[in-house]
Amino acid sequence: MIRLTGIRKSFGKDEVLRGIDLEVGKGEVVAVIGPSGSGKTTLLRCVNFLERPDAGEIRVSDLRVDCARPSKKDIHALRRKTAMVFQQYNLFRHKTALENVMEGLVVVRKLPKEEAREKVGLGDKLDAWPSRLSGGQQQRVGIARALAMEPEVMLLDEPTSALDPELVGEVLAVIRQIAKEGITMIIVTHELGFAQEVASRVVFMDGGVIVEDGAPAELFARPREERTKQFLRRLAPEYSI
Amino acid sequence: MSLDPSFMWEALLKLLEALPTTLAITAVSVGCGFLAGAAIALVRVHRVPVLHRIASVWVTVIRGTPMLVHLLVIYAGLTLIVDTLTGYFGLGWNSARIPMIGFAYLSFSITASAYCSEIIRSGMLAVDRGQREAALSLGMTTMQTLRRIIFPQALAASVPNLTNFVIGMLHGSTLAFVVSVVDINAKAEIVASTNWKFFEAYLAAAILFWAMTILLERAGGAVERRINRYRKGGVV
Repeated sequence: MIRLTGIRKSFGKDEVLRGIDLEVGKGEVVAVIGPSGSGKTTLLRCVNFLERPDAGEIRVSDLRVDCARPSKKDIHALRRKTAMVFQQYNLFRHKTALENVMEGLVVVRKLPKEEAREKVGLGDKLDAWPSRLSGGQQQRVGIARALAMEPEVMLLDEPTSALDPELVGEVLAVIRQIAKEGITMIIVTHELGFAQEVASRVVFMDGGVIVEDGAPAELFARPREERTKQFLRRLAPEYSI
Repeated sequence: MSLDPSFMWEALLKLLEALPTTLAITAVSVGCGFLAGAAIALVRVHRVPVLHRIASVWVTVIRGTPMLVHLLVIYAGLTLIVDTLTGYFGLGWNSARIPMIGFAYLSFSITASAYCSEIIRSGMLAVDRGQREAALSLGMTTMQTLRRIIFPQALAASVPNLTNFVIGMLHGSTLAFVVSVVDINAKAEIVASTNWKFFEAYLAAAILFWAMTILLERAGGAVERRINRYRKGGVV
């Protein structure tokens, strides 16, 4: 479904990704966890070329992109097959909630406006500007905007990190719902409890490499690697053994 | 000393004949300056290799020299170049056939391009990078992203500065008298030369400029309110 091979990325002298291999099957929900600076957000951004990887290969279904020599067409095709949900929502500020969701449908997928509107469905906040929405509502619009593109894989970059604690729940509920519908997702998250509940697999990254990769129950309860143990002990004492 | 109100009125009516000239110079320089300025801003924001350096030198040089100097340099330089070229190729015409107002159009457009590019550039920088990334991640092309996401918001953020800029160009257009173009200001001079009532004529010109400026301020304010709805929140 999606396969990353040998992904490398440096910012100047700083090597952020040191050869990442990751395979995600159809319908899988993979949570990527790890300390800040471990490269997990960079990895996610590399998958749709918001960061340009220095080396490696990205495959999404039948599309195969050589990261060292991507053509414009490759990058565009990759972005069509993936959709991103951002930590800061990144809604288009000059468009209403509805227009935000419709933008990709009309401009990229060339759906007639009427059809796009029906697709989005109705809600009471659809005609509101982003500046009038709470963080939770904005992020839900962000998720709807990504989902509307019917991507093969959804990339979620710390979708609840910028939210006030009382708003986290509503966004997680939406993601939970999407997971149930069998949409393939890669989620970078700090919500370990949520990762354990929703993810079918958890990947622990540190220092630009994948340290450990396993089923959530397994990884959280019996981490094999010392670095994973340390991280879990620090972040979530309840998981430590 | 006494003010002659009836002559002032008479002068005002005569000045109206020159109004189209003033408006044309302003409109052409603002229009061309805006287009060129947008291109310059684009090149600089996206750091297009080589071009962005040229663009930044252009802006420094043009902003670093007075508008009057641009006009004089274009007037003297262009005639020289045109006459040399037409002479060399034996085209049988010379720079005298270029209408004087053409020099004003060209040189004020050059002036405007530099100022306008900075206004648009700061507007583009006011749109956060995340929105650009969001658009690209949806599969929009760079052009679609610029046209649909970046420019509308950049322009919205630039409206107050653009209004100011248009007013500046309107007032600056008076310099065109230097190359014998009869704008409102030059017309005032002509009107008063018959009876030496310069004060009345200049006052009439001032009133006319003031009126146009008020209209521009109002228009700018209206555009600003309309275009910036999304910033204040609320629904459509």
